[in-house]
Amino acid sequence: MATELERTPRCLLVSERSGFLQENNRLLSQQLNFNYKVSVLLPDCGSAPSHLDAVLDGLNPFYLIRDLPVHELLETPSLQGVSALSYRTRLDEDNCVALLPNGHLSLSLDKDSFELLGVEGKPSRFSHKRNIRYVVSVDLTDSRMAPGGRGYQRLLTGLKSRLQLKTDFLLTHPPGGGASLQVLLSRYDWSEHRPEVSRRLLTDVCCPLMTSDLQSCDLKSCDPHHLLEWLGAVDANISCENASSSFLSSLCCPDPQTVTSALSVSVSGLLLPEDLQRILKQLRCHLEQSLSTWASLTVHGFVDSPVSWGVSEHGVLRGGENFYSLLLFPDQTYRIHLGTGAEDTCPP
Amino acid sequence: MSCADTKDKPALYQRVVLKNASPYHYMKVCLVLEDESTRLSAVNLKQFIISGLDSLYGEAGAALNFDLLKYDEDTLTAFLRVYSKGLVKLWSSLTLLSLYQKQACAFRVLQVSPFLLALTGNSRELQLD
Repeated sequence: MATELERTPRCLLVSERSGFLQENNRLLSQQLNFNYKVSVLLPDCGSAPSHLDAVLDGLNPFYLIRDLPVHELLETPSLQGVSALSYRTRLDEDNCVALLPNGHLSLSLDKDSFELLGVEGKPSRFSHKRNIRYVVSVDLTDSRMAPGGRGYQRLLTGLKSRLQLKTDFLLTHPPGGGASLQVLLSRYDWSEHRPEVSRRLLTDVCCPLMTSDLQSCDLKSCDPHHLLEWLGAVDANISCENASSSFLSSLCCPDPQTVTSALSVSVSGLLLPEDLQRILKQLRCHLEQSLSTWASLTVHGFVDSPVSWGVSEHGVLRGGENFYSLLLFPDQTYRIHLGTGAEDTCPP
Repeated sequence: MSCADTKDKPALYQRVVLKNASPYHYMKVCLVLEDESTRLSAVNLKQFIISGLDSLYGEAGAALNFDLLKYDEDTLTAFLRVYSKGLVKLWSSLTLLSLYQKQACAFRVLQVSPFLLALTGNSRELQLD
């Protein structure tokens, strides 16, 4: 009985140490498909660097389209290179749809919708005792899915007549500019949104001391869980100055620590990977030119996205987290921590 | 803590996969009361949760250490931290708490994660309307 009560869901955290100038740098393969929020933390920084501010003010907008029939994702050629994700659909309750820029379409459906649709799929890894969710994965660039092909016609007929699935969608800005989407947008209710940027200047905040010794130390001896906990506390504006005898909380900053000022920036919306790369580039430049000894960049994926990294299925059972946190150092090295939900596959 | 996989390569590159190594789990919860104008302080809320642990698991259960990291008195929303081994006990106590000072109440568990960082980036909070 005691053992049953002490059991917890599986928890997976991948920690990597590498350098931007390394040949086998894997950072690009560790990007999420759908990015919801990015948080930047710059210690020893009184104000935002001007170049970083310029990047934050120039982030690409995204679109919200209401009641878009899913078959439009097959029939609209201008959606090539665009990411689309169903909005306000919960992955553990509703039907969710995701379209990747490489033409991969993923539908996470409940049992009834899957049987109505009538195309090939497989049971979701995120079912409880019985299969109640199914995933249909289609590569729209495959020859069998070319317009007029059998696979294409079967899926199109299913989406048009058997399962007339329509939902609100978030779309990223197309690579060639917004004009290519105008024909599609003109037929539906749509709105353009800019990522929301918020800046906070933190004074006299306890920060962990990140020294050059820490850069070279073994990953197993520098506990990433405590570091991620501290980053979460800063992001959520949770105090880390608690006495061990306090009734309410004993959360404190990991040792060794120092008291300094810091700049915290958060951006939320549907963010393009290219925009994240530009923010990352500015942080690297800032570290080269300033006295800061480290900087942090955390990227959160969408909880209700059917895919997380690559085409790996993502799901929500107890939680739907998929995020990574980069710790950058002035010598162009970095540490990355990738966290995901209990039943997800291991991050890349 | 168990290490599922370690790859060591020459020079700087190192990769470690940590499985079931998080010492804590974090919960974002919201207390819903029959009388919506009722307000609790942080101390009252923590004491209320301890009483729930006590009623379900006795004094040994009530001794379970958990932290009230953050509390919003207006929305009655709180961030809790508990040792991973105590998650089931705390969660089940919150589920079965139904009375606060003789008025009906319920705890809504909004999010649970082994990472506090994950609680700050929940895309279900995205509002575009």
